[in-house]
Amino acid sequence: MKFMRNAIAILRKDVLLEIRGKESLSLMLFLSLLFLVIFNFALDIDKDNISSLAPGILWVIFTFSGILGMGRTSMAERDEEAYLSVIFSPASAESFYIGKVLSNFLFLILMEGFTLLLFAILFDFEKIIGLLPKLAPSLFLGTLGFSLVGTLFSFLATASRHGEVLMPFLYLPIVIPIILGGVSSMSIILNENLVEGTGKWLQILVIFDILYLSLSLLLFRYLIEE
Amino acid sequence: MKVNKIIIILFFFLLVMIPLDFFLIFKVAPTERIMGDVQRIFYLHVALASGALFAFTGVFLSSIFFLLTKKLFWDTAAYTSAEIGVLFSTLVLITGSMWARPVWNVWWTWDPRLLTTLILWFVYVGYFLLRSGISDRFKKARYSAVIGIVGFVDIPIIRFSTKWWRSIHPLVSKEGGGGLDPLMKNVMLFSMATFLVFTILLFIFRFRLARIEEKLQGLKKRMED
Repeated sequence: MKFMRNAIAILRKDVLLEIRGKESLSLMLFLSLLFLVIFNFALDIDKDNISSLAPGILWVIFTFSGILGMGRTSMAERDEEAYLSVIFSPASAESFYIGKVLSNFLFLILMEGFTLLLFAILFDFEKIIGLLPKLAPSLFLGTLGFSLVGTLFSFLATASRHGEVLMPFLYLPIVIPIILGGVSSMSIILNENLVEGTGKWLQILVIFDILYLSLSLLLFRYLIEE
Repeated sequence: MKVNKIIIILFFFLLVMIPLDFFLIFKVAPTERIMGDVQRIFYLHVALASGALFAFTGVFLSSIFFLLTKKLFWDTAAYTSAEIGVLFSTLVLITGSMWARPVWNVWWTWDPRLLTTLILWFVYVGYFLLRSGISDRFKKARYSAVIGIVGFVDIPIIRFSTKWWRSIHPLVSKEGGGGLDPLMKNVMLFSMATFLVFTILLFIFRFRLARIEEKLQGLKKRMED
């Protein structure tokens, strides 16, 4: 229980920081809006093709805004080596990691909800809001995967001289299964004519999440010991 | 000087094996009925791919050993294997492309096997990008070991998830006997063995060089102090 209390404390700290400083979530939301505007120019979106384009557009936005946001929350820990005080405290490295995963997860989910809402408004696609309960499982599992890998890798990347720039190079190849699963299950739901279910994609996402949760718990310790 | 003996033995092995391998590929292996001579790339392609996988497995295991023992020896083993793996997988992608152009009529296609190889290539290029940005030797070793482990574990999931698309990559070994001519299969196995020996020799050379470089760095540092 102490483990979870420590993790919640980290989560609480990040939420407070966000409310006071507005450094990562607000940036993510702004970037999502910007992406939507750019996609509007880049692709010719109309009533006929929106169902087939939406999953790709949305998941690309989720991925890239997520990279930015998670990079920010890790930078906050690297700033003046704030994470060192966690190492010297009795709290375990794993609880620190879980706390960061939780706060990243929360910010990502908020960003995704905001993006979906904006997408529905800007592209006149209210249908997607009605389908939210059906989309929820894949969004939840995908976002969890994003934050599990993203927390680990943003912490890795910010240690390097290349800083946040390195993050996409490490992160994107690894999360390809999530993007694949997310896009595929969303397009199955939006284009209901498809016969196959989303079951197998959810399975992939679950396997991914379990694997990376256990791997990160094993490995995170090595990233913060000095 | 045990290592030297191994190197000499492996070297003489290769001196015979490589010419023999090329003789087998170009003269002994039958010409494929539909694809023609271009199919002979396959013997190199598969051998390189197995060499790359062997090297990446080496990165994975060395990374684990490093985190467990904290001996820089294992880190050197990990990054030298990663170099060989990146080199070989680059060649796998190139030879595959050369084969695909006449046979599939495209240079590249989004097939699971191709995609997995490409993603793997990205992961290990990222591995070197990370290394280049960290100057502290132990930190570099620890952080890249994490990538070496995480990246390797991702392979089965990527394979799994990309497989839902229809695969057009030829299956060489199927369950219950392959669709390959026995002679072709033997040439392929020999070619794989040749490249395996080649990979090992390359690794030993590269590893020794890296150790010498590190020793030199250490001496330089001591001189400065």
